[in-house]
Amino acid sequence: MAQVGIDGATLVVEIEGMDKLWALKSRLEIPLANVRGATADPGVISESKGIRTAGTHMPGVITAGTFRVDGERIFWDVRDPAKAVVIELRDERYARLIVQVDDPRTTVGAIERAIHA
Amino acid sequence: MGRPRAFDETEVIRAAAELFASRAYDGVSVDDLVTTLGVHRNSLYKVFGSKRGLYLAALRWYLAERVSPVLAELRTTADPAAGLQALLTSDRDDLDLLILAVVERAPADQEVADLVAGVLREVDAAVARALPAEAIAPALTATILGLRLRARAGGTAPDAGTVLLHHIQSSGT
Repeated sequence: MAQVGIDGATLVVEIEGMDKLWALKSRLEIPLANVRGATADPGVISESKGIRTAGTHMPGVITAGTFRVDGERIFWDVRDPAKAVVIELRDERYARLIVQVDDPRTTVGAIERAIHA
Repeated sequence: MGRPRAFDETEVIRAAAELFASRAYDGVSVDDLVTTLGVHRNSLYKVFGSKRGLYLAALRWYLAERVSPVLAELRTTADPAAGLQALLTSDRDDLDLLILAVVERAPADQEVADLVAGVLREVDAAVARALPAEAIAPALTATILGLRLRARAGGTAPDAGTVLLHHIQSSGT
């Protein structure tokens, strides 16, 4: 699970609990200018994950860490696909973040409002 | 920079507009979009940024390609009254996404609200040409949208719109 919040002009993604270990990452900070949008997407879990470059992939249990697919780097932290949110980035190390949040609708709304404010 | 886009962006936007015109925004999942549009999920995100990004592109396309021609016709016709009557009795679906956007997305999304408000003002202006008083135009716009809504709910639109228009024109107010 991840806590996704907005701090001024920065999107802050905080990886919680043991997922920090599985994902080999505890915190990501992205300038809002580099955030293109957010989408609740339970079906994203069935996408090909590509090649794991750092982290953990136990299908049906957890997808966490850095994966590379179609030449793009994607950060995953998802156990429960029903709560997956896809955050699309530009000019960042990651092309997109796919993280599980407590309330996808609220998170998507907050990000979309912040980047279009 | 990754792979080149392997799909026709306009065609994808058009198909998305049809999907969004047929169903509530929340009822259209990314799975639905991927399946219906035949586009890879990663490409969808790469090109449009989010479901909302695709929705906005679809709404802009729809307003420009489906709604604007209807308004242009009404603005330029030599017989505005006949044009307005045609609009009041039409059972076409070329306002569906506008209606859904007004009801559903405009209250939740300022960019959608601004887009549809602009188009509704254009409808008012086009409709006003056929009316004795400009102030009634928004009410006629509402009638057009309302009759389309009723048509969507089943059955054909009654000729109430035509009767109303004749009343307005004969009273000359």
